[in-house]
Amino acid sequence: MKKRLDLLPYALISPLIIFIILLALTPAAFTTIAAFFRVQPLNPPTKFSGLENFRDILHNADVISSLGNTFLYIIIGVTLSTILGIFFAVVLQRRFTGRSILIAVLILPWALPGVVEGILWTGIWDGNTGVLNSVLKSLHLISHYQVFLGQNKILTILAIEIVQVWQITPLSTILILAVLQNIPDDLYEAAKIDGSDARKSFLHITMPLIRPGIAIAVVQAIIATLNIFDQPYILNGAASTANSLAMETYAVSFQNLNFGQGYALSLLITVFTLLVSVVVAKFIYKKVEY
Amino acid sequence: MLDAIKVSKSTKSAAIALTVASALGFATLAAPAKAASPVTISVVLAAPPLPAPMLAEFTKATGITVKWTQLDWDSLQTKIAAAATANTFFADATDVDWSRVGQLGKLNWFLPMEKYVDTKALAADMPQLGSFSKNGHVVGIPYDASFMVTTVNKALFAKAGITKMPTTIDEYTADLKAVKAKGVVQYPLNIPFAAAEGLSTYWYETTGAFGGHILDANGKPLFTDPASAGYKAAAWMVNAVKTGLVPPGNINVADSQGQQTLMAKGKVASTFSDYSGNVGSLYEVPASSSVVGQVKYIPTPGLKGTAANLGNPDGIGIPAKAKNPEAAAKFISWFTDGKNMADFAGASGTARTWVGYFFPSRLSGIAILNKKGSIIGGDVLASMLKTSAAVFPQGAPAWYPEFSGAVYSNLHAAAAGTKTVDAAIKAIGAVATKLSSGK
Repeated sequence: MKKRLDLLPYALISPLIIFIILLALTPAAFTTIAAFFRVQPLNPPTKFSGLENFRDILHNADVISSLGNTFLYIIIGVTLSTILGIFFAVVLQRRFTGRSILIAVLILPWALPGVVEGILWTGIWDGNTGVLNSVLKSLHLISHYQVFLGQNKILTILAIEIVQVWQITPLSTILILAVLQNIPDDLYEAAKIDGSDARKSFLHITMPLIRPGIAIAVVQAIIATLNIFDQPYILNGAASTANSLAMETYAVSFQNLNFGQGYALSLLITVFTLLVSVVVAKFIYKKVEY
Repeated sequence: MLDAIKVSKSTKSAAIALTVASALGFATLAAPAKAASPVTISVVLAAPPLPAPMLAEFTKATGITVKWTQLDWDSLQTKIAAAATANTFFADATDVDWSRVGQLGKLNWFLPMEKYVDTKALAADMPQLGSFSKNGHVVGIPYDASFMVTTVNKALFAKAGITKMPTTIDEYTADLKAVKAKGVVQYPLNIPFAAAEGLSTYWYETTGAFGGHILDANGKPLFTDPASAGYKAAAWMVNAVKTGLVPPGNINVADSQGQQTLMAKGKVASTFSDYSGNVGSLYEVPASSSVVGQVKYIPTPGLKGTAANLGNPDGIGIPAKAKNPEAAAKFISWFTDGKNMADFAGASGTARTWVGYFFPSRLSGIAILNKKGSIIGGDVLASMLKTSAAVFPQGAPAWYPEFSGAVYSNLHAAAAGTKTVDAAIKAIGAVATKLSSGK
């Protein structure tokens, strides 16, 4: 008997497919092609240039500096947001009074735009009038106001990344919490009967079973930290102490109007993101069946 | 389970129709919208909307409705560049900053204003119009005659026994040291050392005060020699941090931030390169200032007497892809009318005052304000405006944004101590040389 083709599933997903083609794949394809062209409105014409854009950006000292900085953002951001995400997810795993309010408060930083967060945290880190300096001095922990941003590279990047961790940890928490809540209580009860304490249950039941959530949380943290822009731009300007790859892409494209190099840099970031995400998924993600 | 769901034929048809409709919706979105009647124009500036009664008057008189969008300055420049590069509509009228005139003029991203407005007639009343011309075309019309001025908290200077205001850089530096030495304030001078445009502007003004220019007529650097004004200006600024005249935290303070949190709070005694209009719009406003009545403009101290003030005007122009250029031109003419600008600055009361507006770009507008006595320090500002000079007398080069990026990132590094002044100046000079040679 000949089976009729059911069009409904295709019809239902086609708006999403059209959306992805128009807003994701088309620009991505355009960027990929344009990365191999010399596109400089101030120095026309546009012409094919092979790998010249890639060679130039890899010899650009600011890009290299931003690459090192971005690596630090990734290390600090992914580590902190994942650890904190696991911690908050475990805290929120059990129902207790005020849990909903706590979740709402936790999500708040995630809902704020990066620019707003940057401005908020300027008031905390400011070396002249910042809240942190004021508190530390009140507690007699410092004798005079300290400059947290702009002088020491590691301190500057750490201070800026803390702001981003504050923003992305809620999503990590929610992703891990979603997986955590699927773990059957029976497993913990059985472990308890077998003499397992809370620490052992966490290490041998919780951690292995939340790996899928951790993998997704790590990937989203990598994407966020790799594309960090608002926080360093607001808190540290365009200074090389903490400039990121995304900031350099902006500067090359819209400040220098060298769109060819901007496309090339964007393409490299995209490829790097994909590769890292695949590696993370391969090593951390594990299919879990209860 | 999906396979258990029964779907009727009509439901399937509806779903497919919906899909087609969605696709058509995308097509509709992508198609350019036709101008509505009466005409509505889109105005995008890095400033809050004009007072509603004034916009209503404009609409009543012309039938043109203004849809106003406010964006921060940096985002606005990005959007202008992105839209122009994509050859698509962004706004009917938008920002033309003096520093972008060279770039915008070369790229023909804006329509020549002389086609729509009698710019020759405007020139005599608008001293800064020349800064908005490139290759014989007027790219934008200045609507705000912001220029750099020196502000001094006279009360703090008086506490240090200084009543005669400095007229030279040496006197100014000595006075700042006296204010610090007498413990009036710990750090008397505000220099915004954050790696942002405000730092470049500060250096240009200081270079002017030291009696020099930044670039020659061919765009070559004039500041690499240690005896040059630009080099001395950079050394003076960085030395001010090292000798404790500038708060150490200023390494990450942007211009407006320093004015609001330091100068307006009496934590510093002077800003060498401040914005014209800040006394009236910031330091004299009790809600934002604790130094009301204390801060005054002084003629900028120079090498051997007072120096010229550098222009920092904001302009407005019509992007090449504007949908309603004629209507936009009518708006710009009205927007830059002398009387209206005087009203924006507060000549006719708060209902017609435009929040954050500094100073009319037309001398006739300033005359109205002065006549009504509604501008603080108006006489001093008016005389400074007459002699205010362009940062680049030959016009801002097309590659200015990249050059400015090199200026502020290197001066910031010198102030932070990660580079010497010499290394910073050499790096800025190398960028200017490379860009001016077209490499």
